[in-house]
Amino acid sequence: MRNYENLVIVKPTLTAEEIQASVKAIEEVITSNGGEIAATSPMGMRKLAYPIEKNERGYYHVIYSSIAPSAISEIERRFRINEDLLRFVTIKYDTNREKAAFNGMVEKAKKAAEAPKVETPAVETPAAVEAPTETPAVETEAPVATEAAAE
Amino acid sequence: MAEKRKYKKRYCKYCEAKVDFMDYKDAGALRFSLSERYKIMPRRLTGNCKRHQDMISVVIKRARAAALVPYTVTRKHVVTAPFENLK
Ligand SMILES: [Zn+2]
Repeated sequence: MRNYENLVIVKPTLTAEEIQASVKAIEEVITSNGGEIAATSPMGMRKLAYPIEKNERGYYHVIYSSIAPSAISEIERRFRINEDLLRFVTIKYDTNREKAAFNGMVEKAKKAAEAPKVETPAVETPAAVEAPTETPAVETEAPVATEAAAE
Repeated sequence: MAEKRKYKKRYCKYCEAKVDFMDYKDAGALRFSLSERYKIMPRRLTGNCKRHQDMISVVIKRARAAALVPYTVTRKHVVTAPFENLK
């Protein structure tokens, strides 16, 4: 068993319930292939950096899990067939440093899931939902970045 | 020595911050090593060390695949404030 992170982008044209159902189905694919889900973190509806299949937005969902390496190809094959998915990214966390980072992210995702207690529907106002955890770090980063770019 | 240093001494900002791991999902943090056109900035301009440059290049490529950071910015397809969604 190895630690993996699956990021999936679900089509924005679906309704909130359909998106949740689709995410459930995706998690089901992982568990049915012998994977154990450690944590999930919904990043919510976001603007894509470039259009994918003419969609400007997408619903991001991250799944942290430990999966047998041999099962990955089957999981990816199922993802490729799934029409609700615009894109998926699978990242392996193998070295000791990466494992530590993985555990840190799992803890963070668990805390984020417990804290708001609101089961994120995240379609109409996604920004407000994901705001509490993400905002401070990004806002402090932004001015520094623009200064660097100006130089 | 009478001669003054022409440029500021370059140092690796990631080393200074003791960065051990970068997360590709945190697109705002990648901005430092990206140019205005979202190319990966060369090490000679940012002062990143080899180790951190290798890390950042991998992470930026992951973020591109996940549509968090654009691959290219053309005149036709201009990304207006691509990090606005991080607000
Ligand atoms: Zn460094």
